[in-house]
Amino acid sequence: MKNALWILALILVFFVGDRLVGGLMLRQVDQSQFRYSRLYRGEAAAEVLLVGNSRGLTFYQPYIESVSGKSTFNLSYNGMPMDLAKALVQDYLDRYPAPERMVVDITTCDRENDQLLAGFVPYTRFSPRIDSLIGQKMAWVWWSSRLSHLFSVNNEVFQRALYYRNRSDEDWLLDRVINPELAKSHLDKPSTIGTNPYLTQQFKEMVAYAQSKNVKVELVIGPYYPGYNVVNLDKFKSELEQATNMQVRDYRAALSDPNGFGDLSHPNKNGSMTYIDLLRKDAVLP
Amino acid sequence: MVFNSLIFLVFIALFFPLYFGTKGRTRYWVCLLSSYLFYGWWDWRFLGLVLFSTVMDWWFGMWISYQDDRESVEEKWANGSSVLRLFAPITRAAASLNRPRTTVLIFSMCMNLGFLGFFKYFNFFADSFTDLLAWFGTTPSWTTLNIILPVGISFYTFQSMSYTIDVYRKDLKWETSLLRFATFISFFPQLVAGPIVRAVDFLPQMYEDKRFSWKNFNSGLGRVLWGFFKKVAIADSIAPFVDQVFEMPQAFSSSHLLLGVIFYSFQIYCDFSGYSDIAIGIARMLGFRFPENFRTPYFSTSFSEFWTRWHVSLSSWLRDYLYIPLGGSRHGKFNTYKNNMITMLLGGLWHGANSAFIFWGFLHGLYLILQRFVQPVWRGFVRSTGMPKWLDNGVAMLTVYALTLLAWVYFRAGSIGLMGGDSFSTANAVLSGIFSFQNFNFDSIVNKFQAMKGMLLIGILLLIEVSNIYFRWNERQLDTPAWRVTGFAVLLWLIALFGTFGGSAFIYFQF
Repeated sequence: MKNALWILALILVFFVGDRLVGGLMLRQVDQSQFRYSRLYRGEAAAEVLLVGNSRGLTFYQPYIESVSGKSTFNLSYNGMPMDLAKALVQDYLDRYPAPERMVVDITTCDRENDQLLAGFVPYTRFSPRIDSLIGQKMAWVWWSSRLSHLFSVNNEVFQRALYYRNRSDEDWLLDRVINPELAKSHLDKPSTIGTNPYLTQQFKEMVAYAQSKNVKVELVIGPYYPGYNVVNLDKFKSELEQATNMQVRDYRAALSDPNGFGDLSHPNKNGSMTYIDLLRKDAVLP
Repeated sequence: MVFNSLIFLVFIALFFPLYFGTKGRTRYWVCLLSSYLFYGWWDWRFLGLVLFSTVMDWWFGMWISYQDDRESVEEKWANGSSVLRLFAPITRAAASLNRPRTTVLIFSMCMNLGFLGFFKYFNFFADSFTDLLAWFGTTPSWTTLNIILPVGISFYTFQSMSYTIDVYRKDLKWETSLLRFATFISFFPQLVAGPIVRAVDFLPQMYEDKRFSWKNFNSGLGRVLWGFFKKVAIADSIAPFVDQVFEMPQAFSSSHLLLGVIFYSFQIYCDFSGYSDIAIGIARMLGFRFPENFRTPYFSTSFSEFWTRWHVSLSSWLRDYLYIPLGGSRHGKFNTYKNNMITMLLGGLWHGANSAFIFWGFLHGLYLILQRFVQPVWRGFVRSTGMPKWLDNGVAMLTVYALTLLAWVYFRAGSIGLMGGDSFSTANAVLSGIFSFQNFNFDSIVNKFQAMKGMLLIGILLLIEVSNIYFRWNERQLDTPAWRVTGFAVLLWLIALFGTFGGSAFIYFQF
């Protein structure tokens, strides 16, 4: 028995250290300038709410704010799953006065992404919606994060929160021009987009929730590289139009200059500004 | 079943009490059946091959021994188990053919290498032959076969071969118990990815009384945790960065590609040595001693040293069963170079049925040969300039590491080749991208979060490995519980903080 005492000591030391260091790290999340930390800290009030996946990040906030004079808040994240987007939008609308409008890039509705969802574990302390979503879809992550606070910061979302601890995350945008040869070599490899009843329902509920708060909702498809084929995009668009009874504004071919793209699915800074000008011209953005 | 999965935790939690709660034959049955369960978890059909190889090699060992000393073997049969007696008439019949014992060994080699050749290399050689015929303007009509590669076949085949060779060389007595021999071949800690444990090292340990020992448990658990840290925290964390680099090298800057290749060198090291650490640790907890497989290989100052530190169980196997029988370094310079090259080429081929692996072996063969020319010149330069030892070692270490990196590019590309891609064009794209020096700066690295995390983890790894040379953490923890608690807690924190828990397979499973 004496020989096994060190195991008890190990368990004790592990948990004490885990709680101390984990707690310290979670505090960095709380104090970060990362968008979701600001959201749950009460520092995200805005007149325009922007929602999307990585393509939603092309709603380049500094430019929108400088040309419109309106404040913005962008909930977009690379590979954002639809159910998480809904939870974040609902959390936002519950915590802040309703924004004037919400602009959504509908291509967010093409996926579930449980791996990324699990990365939002540090925010379960503030959001019962995210807590329950992770509990349902990634139960082992939920339980492990209860067991180890260090585990709950073992994700990319925490790393970003740490990176943006003392700096704004609003002016980041892909700032490169796609290699034309690389683009050419991938034009004959189309990507496919699609939704399913679960995702469509999440999307529908997100839009309805915003509308119930008197938020004007604008649905858009952002630009793709000229000639890049996204299979089923028309079907995808019409399914979401039917589900929401709304028209989707389609900008997939709005940018004809290849130099306006960082890769095949993402406009770079220049392309984004051109895209934003088009959105403003069509009164999608103020 | 992989070590880094929940099901394995359940498996091991059930296995330990069963193992220590039994003795003698019952314990071997526990080991054998558990190992078959562990292996069959991938695909139960693989078990047939392991069983067949096991029985055949056991019998070949018996046959060789019967040729040497009939009386002694007859006596064992008379006093042995019913399984042993079952093989008596077959062996007598085989012996009546009056084949020399060398022929029996050749039968055994043909069977083992035949299975390996069929399952692992058939399509590769068929494709290569087709390409050759196409070069001469002929297009054959045959197609390749849809063959499933049994997990770990290269490892257990080499283990099994070591038995018959050692019995043939009279370095080992034939094993009378099929149960013990089958347990040796299938012993789950090392079955699928090594270390390659030789019969001569393992079988005698099976006669020892294995009781639970806290010293073994503490020592083994330390190795297991260290292995898990290397696998789930380092290798799996940097794998996505590496995968991106080799999937689309044209998309990345020179510095990004270089970092990707450096990451790969640590990914494969941590993945494979992590597996070995876990295997060695589990075996130690059970009371077995496995040979060391890695000894901080990137600190090598020459290629001959590198091969005494990297995948030691394979390199020593190739040395003892291939390089030395070929003549080693005994018959002049040319034969030494030739033997070096043959050994490394076959070492490359052992890893996979793709020409990029063979090229990787070729590069290492070339390095070993060139080293024999360069080293005396360098030694002379060091002496004449009075270069300090640390600088001499530092330059040598960096040179060996840089050339190893170059070879790793082809090795990683070989895995792409196994999946149907073009390994050489991938490797060349990576290398030409690096040497273009375009955008050679940190800003051009695309995923900085992954890059910084990878660099931090590699830094932690090097810090622990270097400090272990001076402080011997692994030995201190055995004597001092406070060191043990601290060391294990740090590893657990690092695993919780950085681990990737997807149960991803180990790289060497494909070999």
